[in-house]
Amino acid sequence: METYESIKHWKDQNISSYLDTNQSLNDFHDQVMSKVLDVAMKKLSKYNIPCEFTWFITGSGGRLEQGIVSDQDHGIIYAKSDIESDAYFLALGKEISVGLNIVGYPYCKGNIMSSNPVWCKSFVQWERQLFNWMADESWESIRYLQIFYDARELYGNTNYIQELKYSIYQYQIEHPSLLHRIVANIKHVRNAIGPLGQIMIEQHGKFQGGINLKYAAFIPYVNSIRLLAIKEGILECSTLQRIEVLNGMEIYGNVLEGCESNFSNLLNYRMTFLNGASYDDTHYLNVRLLTNEQKKEIKRILKDGKSLHDQVIAQVLQ
Amino acid sequence: MDVNAVVVLMDNLWVAMGAILVFFMIGGFILLEAGSTRMKNAGHIAGKTIFTAGIGTIVFWAVGYGFIYGEGNAFIGLSNFFYGDYSAADGGLTPAVDFSFQVMFALVSLTIAFGGFAERAKLSIYIIFAVLFSAVIYPIVAHWIWGGGWLAEHGKQDFAGSTVVHLTGAMAALAATMILKPRIGKYNKDGSSNNLLGHNQVFTALGVLILWVGWFGFNGASTFGVSDGFLGFVLLNTQLAAGAGAIAAMFTVWAVTGKADIPTTLNGALAGLVAITASCGFVEPWAAVVIGLIGGIMVVFSMKLFDRLKIDDPIAALSVHGTVGVWGTLSNGLFAVPALSTEIEWGQAGLFYGGGFDQLGVQALGVVASGAFAFIVSFIILKALDMIIGLRVSEEEEIMGLDISEHGSYGYPEQMQEKHANLTTAATTEK
Repeated sequence: METYESIKHWKDQNISSYLDTNQSLNDFHDQVMSKVLDVAMKKLSKYNIPCEFTWFITGSGGRLEQGIVSDQDHGIIYAKSDIESDAYFLALGKEISVGLNIVGYPYCKGNIMSSNPVWCKSFVQWERQLFNWMADESWESIRYLQIFYDARELYGNTNYIQELKYSIYQYQIEHPSLLHRIVANIKHVRNAIGPLGQIMIEQHGKFQGGINLKYAAFIPYVNSIRLLAIKEGILECSTLQRIEVLNGMEIYGNVLEGCESNFSNLLNYRMTFLNGASYDDTHYLNVRLLTNEQKKEIKRILKDGKSLHDQVIAQVLQ
Repeated sequence: MDVNAVVVLMDNLWVAMGAILVFFMIGGFILLEAGSTRMKNAGHIAGKTIFTAGIGTIVFWAVGYGFIYGEGNAFIGLSNFFYGDYSAADGGLTPAVDFSFQVMFALVSLTIAFGGFAERAKLSIYIIFAVLFSAVIYPIVAHWIWGGGWLAEHGKQDFAGSTVVHLTGAMAALAATMILKPRIGKYNKDGSSNNLLGHNQVFTALGVLILWVGWFGFNGASTFGVSDGFLGFVLLNTQLAAGAGAIAAMFTVWAVTGKADIPTTLNGALAGLVAITASCGFVEPWAAVVIGLIGGIMVVFSMKLFDRLKIDDPIAALSVHGTVGVWGTLSNGLFAVPALSTEIEWGQAGLFYGGGFDQLGVQALGVVASGAFAFIVSFIILKALDMIIGLRVSEEEEIMGLDISEHGSYGYPEQMQEKHANLTTAATTEK
C-alpha cells in the first residue's frame, strides 16, 4: 500500500525526468498530489464518503505554473452540508494537508488549505461565501476571491468550480465596482526596472544579486491576465490558456502583443535556472548567470509586464 | 563698558555656546549609533559613549591639549599639560573657553572612531583606546593642522575639522573594523552580505537631527567670534550642504536600488555636514550646495564599496566621516574663493577661482599625511591590544549582546530577557 513517505520517495526519484517543460512538471505535480489524495481517502476509509465532492488546487498549482518546489494551496467543495459531511471533509482536508507536507509541499502560510473550514465547504456554502467576499470588498476578501478564481479540480465533479467561477463573472457584470476593487488590490507592483534602466536586484542576503521573479515578473502578468479573465468570464485556469482566449478578442489585440511569448519564456527561464532545494530558491534568478542576450530579454519581459499591468488596469477602469 | 569689551564678551559667549552645542553632538551620536545597531547592544552603546566621553575629557585635559597647542615643534606640542589657565580675556577668547571648545572636538573624533568598534569590541578595549586616542592620535594630527605644526605652515585649509576630527576618527574606525573582522552573521559563506538592520530608525533620525543642530556650533563657533557676523555665512553654508546631502543620498539610493532607504538618506545629511566642515568658511553658498550634493552621492557608493570589500561598518562611519571627510577637505582646493583664502592669507584660492592646483595639492597632502598617520598608529595600537588581550568579545557574548555580557543588564530588558533565556536553555541543552 502506498504511503506518504513512499510517494515522497517516488517523487524525489522521478521529478528530474519531468523538468523538460513547464507542462510536464505540472502534470507530474498533479500526479503526485492525486496520489496523496488517494492515500488520504484510504486513511479515512472506515468512514463512508458522505456525498459527491471536488478537491481543487489553486495558486500556481491551479494555474499550472508550479516550480519545482511549491507550497500547498487547495480546497474542497462538497455536495451538501450536514454534520456528517462537514466533519468528514474537514478531516479529509486535514489529512491531505499533512500528507502534502510530508511529500514535500510545505504548509501554506496563508492557510489556504482544505484543513481550513474557510476553504472546505459545501457548494451552497461556497456560493454564499463568494457572494459575501464580493459584497464585503475588503482587501482580504478580494484577495481570496482572486485565489479562488485560479482553482482547478484534481478530483471530482468539475461543474462545481465552473459554476462558482461563473457566478463571479455574473456578479461583476451587475456590480462593476468589483473590478475596481480588484484593481485596487493588485495595483502595487514591485519596481523591476530602476530609474536608470537597470534591473533591480536584491541588495543583501542569500539571494544578493538576484531578481525576485515571483514579485517582479510573474505577478504583473498573472494578476493582470486574471483580471481580464474575470471581466470576460474566461474559465480557463492557466495564464497561457487565458491569454490564448483573450487573444481571440479584438479589443485586447494591442494590449496583449508579445504577452504569450513573454510569459512562456518566463516559465522557461524558471525551469532552466531555478531548480534549488527550497521554495525561495525557485524565485530568485541570479543575473550573473545570464548572458548579455538573456539579460536583455529578461529586462524586456519585466518592462513589458509592467506595461501590460498598467494598460490592463487603465482599460478595466475606463 | 566700551564696545570692544562687549564684542569680546560676545565672542566668548558664542564660542562657549559652540562648546555646548558640540558636546550635545555626543547625544546625537548615542541615538544615531544605538538606532543603527541591534537592540541587544543598545544600552552598551549608549553607556560606553558617555563614559568614553569622560575618559576623553580627562586625558585631553591632562595631556591632549598640551600636545596640540603647547610650545613644541612641527610634530607635537610639549607644554600646557594638566591645563589650568584661568586668565581673563585679553582682547580675545579666554583660554578656558578655548579649551572647552577644543576638548569637545576631541570627544567627537573619539566617538566617530568607536563607530568602527560597534557590536563586537570588549569594554576594556574602549577604555584603553579612549586613553590612547585622546592622548596621542588626535592631538598629533590636530597639532599638525591647528596647533602650528608642519601642515599649518603649508596653508592647509580645514575650517572646522574635516580632516582633524572626522578623517582622524574614521581612520581609527577603519583600523578597528579591519582587525575586529565583520560581526557574526554579516556575511554568508558564498560571499553575499546580510543587512543587519538597526533596531530604531526614529532614534537614528533624531540622532542625525541633533548632530545637525550641533554642527552649527561645530562650524559656526569655529569663527571664534561674532564681530563681523561671519558666523552667519558659515551657518548658511552648513545648512545648505546638509540639505543637499540628504536630498542627493535619497535620490541616489532610490535610483540605484529602487527604494528611498531611510538610513542611507540620514547618512546623506551627515555626509553633507561632514563635506562642508572643511570648506564652510572658504566657499560660496552655491559651492556649498555642490559640495553637499557630491558628499550625499559619494556616501551611497562608499557604503556599497565597503560592504563589497567585506569591511563591516555598522554605522557607516567610514563612509560618512572618512570618504566624505576626504572629499570635503579636497573641495577647498576646488572652490575656495580668493576673498576668504588668499586675501586673508589662509592658503590659496581653489582651482575654479584661478588658484591653480596649489591648494588642492596642499589639501591632498594634508589628507594623506593625517589619514595615514591616524590609520597606522591606530592599527599598531589595536593590533598590539588584539595580540595581548584580544579586541573582540567571545562568540557567545556577541550573540547574547554586549548589554548583558559587558554590563549585566539589557537596555531593553522586557524584549531581550526572553531571548536570552532561550539562548541559555539552548546552550545548556546542547551540553
